[in-house]
Amino acid sequence: MFLAILVCKLGRFVGKLVGKGSSMPGKFALKICPDILRRVQMPPHIIAVTGSNGKTSTVEMIAAILRADGRNVVYNEEGSNQIEGVTTLVLTHATLGGRVKADVLLIESDERYAAHSFRFFHPTQFVVTNLYRDQLTRNGHPEWVYDAILPAIHPETKLILNADDPLSSCFGAGHEAVKWFGLSRCSISCDAPTGVYHDGAYCPLCHAPMEYDYVHYNHIGAYRCTGCGHCKPSTDYTATAVDLTRGLLTIDGSLTVQLAFCSIYNVYNILAAYAACRECGVAAEIAAGVIGNYVLKNGRMQTFTLGVHHGTLLTSKHENSIAYDTNLRYIASTTAPCTVMVMVDAVSRKYFTSETSWLWDIDFDLLDCPHVEKIVLCGRYCNDLAERFSFTGIPEERLTVGADIPAECARLKAQGDEALYVVTCFSDRDKLLSQVEKED
Amino acid sequence: MELKIFHFYPDLMSLYGSYANVSVLARRLEALGNTVTVERVAPGQAAELSGADFLFMGAGTERAQKAALADFARFGDAVKDAAAGGTAMLFAGNAMELLGKTITAADGTAYPGIALASFTSSQGPQRFAEDVLGVTDLYPEPVVGFINKCATIEGVETPLLFALSLGFGNSGKRTPEGFHQNNVFASQLTGPLLVKNPRMLDAVVSAIYRQRGETLPPQLPSDRWAEDGYAITAEQLRLRCEHAGS
Ligand SMILES: [Zn+2]
Repeated sequence: MFLAILVCKLGRFVGKLVGKGSSMPGKFALKICPDILRRVQMPPHIIAVTGSNGKTSTVEMIAAILRADGRNVVYNEEGSNQIEGVTTLVLTHATLGGRVKADVLLIESDERYAAHSFRFFHPTQFVVTNLYRDQLTRNGHPEWVYDAILPAIHPETKLILNADDPLSSCFGAGHEAVKWFGLSRCSISCDAPTGVYHDGAYCPLCHAPMEYDYVHYNHIGAYRCTGCGHCKPSTDYTATAVDLTRGLLTIDGSLTVQLAFCSIYNVYNILAAYAACRECGVAAEIAAGVIGNYVLKNGRMQTFTLGVHHGTLLTSKHENSIAYDTNLRYIASTTAPCTVMVMVDAVSRKYFTSETSWLWDIDFDLLDCPHVEKIVLCGRYCNDLAERFSFTGIPEERLTVGADIPAECARLKAQGDEALYVVTCFSDRDKLLSQVEKED
Repeated sequence: MELKIFHFYPDLMSLYGSYANVSVLARRLEALGNTVTVERVAPGQAAELSGADFLFMGAGTERAQKAALADFARFGDAVKDAAAGGTAMLFAGNAMELLGKTITAADGTAYPGIALASFTSSQGPQRFAEDVLGVTDLYPEPVVGFINKCATIEGVETPLLFALSLGFGNSGKRTPEGFHQNNVFASQLTGPLLVKNPRMLDAVVSAIYRQRGETLPPQLPSDRWAEDGYAITAEQLRLRCEHAGS
C-alpha cells in the first residue's frame, strides 16, 4: 500500500509539472495494489453525487457549504470521476500510512462507473440528482443507467434522492435510509407534463399509466402510478416556494435565499446540496448563507459582448434534451427582444458520432415567442437543426442557417443591438468564446 | 388520397426521437396532396387496422419493449394480415424485435413475438451503441444512422441493409442489418431514420402509393435541410470509415 500511495503521489506531482490529467497516477497505483481503496482509512463522511444533470454544480455547492462550516473537504475538482480519478484523489490526500487527511471525501461519480468505483468502499451519503435522457449514444437510455447504478448502492449508504423524479426515486424502494428532496407546488408548476416526449407517462416499476398532480418541468413533479402506487414521497428537504422573477427560493417554509441564476435547474441542485450538507450536520443557516447568491464556478452561464450585443452563453449539453429545454425555457421567460443562436458543431468532444436524433427530443417550440426575433442555427449540423426547426411553429423568416460559426458571429456583430443568447454544449462553447469579448 | 397512419405506443416506445419518422412521413404525404390522419395507439386502446396505410412503432427501453409486446400480441394476426396484403410498415429500433419469433431477455426469459418473420432476438448485458453506414438494395445511396441496442438477431434472410461498413448489424459487427420483405420495413437504426435518410423516406412513400395502386408524380417534393443534413452525415461517416480502415 505504501508503495502504491508513494507512486500515486509522485505521479500526481509529475503530472502537475507536465500538465497531464489526473487519472494516470491512480491507474498506476491500482496496478500495484488493486484493492488500495479498501485498505486506506477513509474520512468519516464520503459523499457521492451522481445523476444525469447537475452533478458538477451540486458537488461544487456541497464543497462550498462544507468548507464554510469549517470542514476539510477533498473532492475531484477536475472531474475525473472514474475509479482511476477517484484513486488519484484519495491517495494524493492520504498519509503514507494510508489515512485520508480530510473530514469529507466528496466524489462526483459518473453514473455508468459508480458500481466499479464503489467496489472497495461505499459512500456514507449517495446523492442521485435525477435520471434523464442524457448522452444516449453512450448511455443507451435512462433505465439502462438506472440498472448500472443499482449495484453501486450499498445497504448501509444513506440515499439522498429527488422525490420529484419518477425514475431515480425508485432507488428508494426497499432501501432503509433515504432522505428526499423536492419542490412543492409553486408559482412555476403546471398541471401536466411538458416537452416533446413523455418519459413519465408510464410507471418505471409496473408500466401502468401515471397521473400527475403537478409538474415543475418535463415529467418532474408529483406523479402517481395508477397501478402499483409508486408516487412522489413526502419530502425531508423541500423547496416550499420559488419566485423565479425575483430570484427567491424558500426552503422548508422558513429559509429564504436569493438565487444568483434564476433557473429551475438551479433550484434542484441547491436542494440536493442543501440536503447532503444538512445530513452531514451542517446548520440550516450556514447552508442557506452560502447558497444565497452563490455563483457557480463552472461557468455554465457566461456573459459576453459581440459588437454592441450583450450576450449570454447558456451551456447545455448536447444529447441532453432536458438541459436544452431548461435553457430554452429560461430564454422564453425573458422579455427584451433577443436573438438566439443554437450551435451544434461537434456532438461530443470525447468521442466521434454523427448522431443527431437527440435534436428531436428538444422542445424548440419554447422559442416560438414574439421577443425571440431571430434564431441563428450554426455549426456542422446546422441543416439537421434547420430540419428540426421546420417541424416547430416558428416562422421560417425568423431563421438563419449557416455552418460557419465565425461568419455567423461576424454577421450578428455587424447588425442590431438586441440581447443575444447562445445555447450550445461544452464541446462547442469555445468556438463561440473565441469570437466574442468575455465579461467576468 | 385519404391516408391513415397508425403510430403504436408513441409515449411508451419513444426513445431517440422515434416519433419524427411519423412527422416527416405525414408531412411528405401531405406535400403530395394527400390528407393524412395519424392515429396514436396506447396500450389497451382499440384500433381497427384494416384501413391502415402505414403502421409504425419506435424504440423503447427493454422494459418498455416487454410492456409494448404484452399489448401488441393482440394485434399480431391483424399486423400479419396487413403485411401479407401489402400494407407498408416500419418497426424501428427494438420494435423490430417484436416482429420475430421470440425475444430472449438478458435474464433468460423468452417472450414470444408476433412471428411475422422467423428471426429471433437475444438481449444481453452489453450495449451496442455506434454510428452506422450501410447499403440497401432499395437505392444506390448509402444509409446513415445510429444503432443503440443490446440484442443480437439471428435468422433474418432478407435484411434491409445487406452490408455495413460501419456499425453493429443484426448478428455482429458489420453484419447485415434490419429486415425487409415486400412493404415491411424493420431496422434497429434508432431515431428519425426517415429524416436522416431521404431516400428511405421515398422508398416508404412509394410503398404506400404502390399499395394504393397510385402512381407517384415524376417530380417528388424535396426537403433541402434533410438532403443537406444527410450529405454531411454521410460524408462524416465515410471519413470515419476511411480513418478506421487506415
Ligand atoms: Zn406502477
